[in-house]
Amino acid sequence: MTDHLPASILSALADGELSADQLATANQHLSQCPSCTKIALHHSLLKSATGKAGQRFSPAPDFHVRLTKQIRGDSTLQGLSHRDAARPTMRVSRSYGWAIAITALLLLGGIFFVQYSRNRSATGSTRDAALAVEICDLHIAMLAANTTPEVISSDRHTVKPWFQGKLPFSFNLPDNLPSDITLDGANLTYIQDRPTAQLLYSIGKHRVSVYLQQRTSERTSGELPQEYSGFHIVAFSTSQILGIAVSDVDAARLSDLAGRIDQAQTENAGTPK
Amino acid sequence: MMRLPWKRTDRGRGSQTSEFEEQALPLLPSLYNLAYWLSRNAADAEDLVQETFLKALRGFATFEPGTNFKAWIFRILRNTYLTSRSGLAAKRTVSWEDEWGEHSEPGPTPYPEGAIDRQTPEMNLIRMGDRAALQNAMEQLPPPLLEVILLCDVEEMKYKEIAMALDIPIGTVMSRIARARASIRRALEVEVEAAREVNL
Repeated sequence: MTDHLPASILSALADGELSADQLATANQHLSQCPSCTKIALHHSLLKSATGKAGQRFSPAPDFHVRLTKQIRGDSTLQGLSHRDAARPTMRVSRSYGWAIAITALLLLGGIFFVQYSRNRSATGSTRDAALAVEICDLHIAMLAANTTPEVISSDRHTVKPWFQGKLPFSFNLPDNLPSDITLDGANLTYIQDRPTAQLLYSIGKHRVSVYLQQRTSERTSGELPQEYSGFHIVAFSTSQILGIAVSDVDAARLSDLAGRIDQAQTENAGTPK
Repeated sequence: MMRLPWKRTDRGRGSQTSEFEEQALPLLPSLYNLAYWLSRNAADAEDLVQETFLKALRGFATFEPGTNFKAWIFRILRNTYLTSRSGLAAKRTVSWEDEWGEHSEPGPTPYPEGAIDRQTPEMNLIRMGDRAALQNAMEQLPPPLLEVILLCDVEEMKYKEIAMALDIPIGTVMSRIARARASIRRALEVEVEAAREVNL
């Protein structure tokens, strides 16, 4: 195979911008060319990574307010002149003035509360979606790279100690797994710039990544989407650890494995494994 | 929904302003992000976005409802940037259009095989989620490549929308995106090599 796909076609493939004919031709080529398939996958990963890295700068909180004021500038000016004209004839009693002030205060408080709640929930859901994308990307990259794990062992007594000094927390791994679930090894990785254990399991022929990270106050389990790009996601947490399992295996089997790992944290707490 | 031109002028000033706010304000974070990447500092980015909003508001009566507002306002931002202090400075130091030797015709740009990197150690960096390395690589892109990759990957705009926003043919969008990605990969490779040398 000498005529590889040009870079612009591989880029457009990652962007979903090829016409039906171009896509058919590209797919045909990719089915016979591992080199181009690898590059196409790299383009997709790069696209996803630049998408995240590019979201870098946010406007200052008061900029939105200043900008809105400026947009409404003309209307506000008109409103002011109207009010100024009416001012000499206004006779507002002191109690009426207080009532207006209190109403305005309550109104402002209400607006602030609604805005705060909305921002908080929007920020939370965006963060959860970003986390789901990141863990799926890591899982896909692991599948695509097909490289050997940093620690290869099916023995939990080998895998767990390997993380000593690499993570700011410790964890336990479950014993007596069903016969078709095997521990393949583990990697040290980073999710949202925080050190994370990536435990690699197989359930039958399906590969599973289980990410264990130190739990923070802002992140608990159960907020993540349960599915992303065809992969099932199961999250669990203990008082110290946040765990996220991702795989294309049946959701019930994934939940079963996640449940066993979750249980191992409490059952074996205090027991060296 | 299409509105006839004489009906569009019926929109009252107040309702026009609120209509504009409804469409433009949700785009503030995206516009600011692009403005900051291009101008490289917060003050210039704020000025750029502010000017964009005011220009867009003034020209909102000419905007055809139902057409692509996002592409329209990004185009205003881009044109405002080109005439801004930082935009003019960038224009003096980097070439923008024809000097790139771009193909303005639609369709794939043929690249020599050597231009495609088939050994990709930089993927290790991406896999590790090294955001700083990627941001470094993106900072090295000249503005024409940076803006196209931000619109495509961050704003997830289609090539057609990007072409509209940047006022360039789709073929040029396609080739610039491929060039931008190749440049990012090269910059990451350089980082990997540098890190290796330090480790040796």
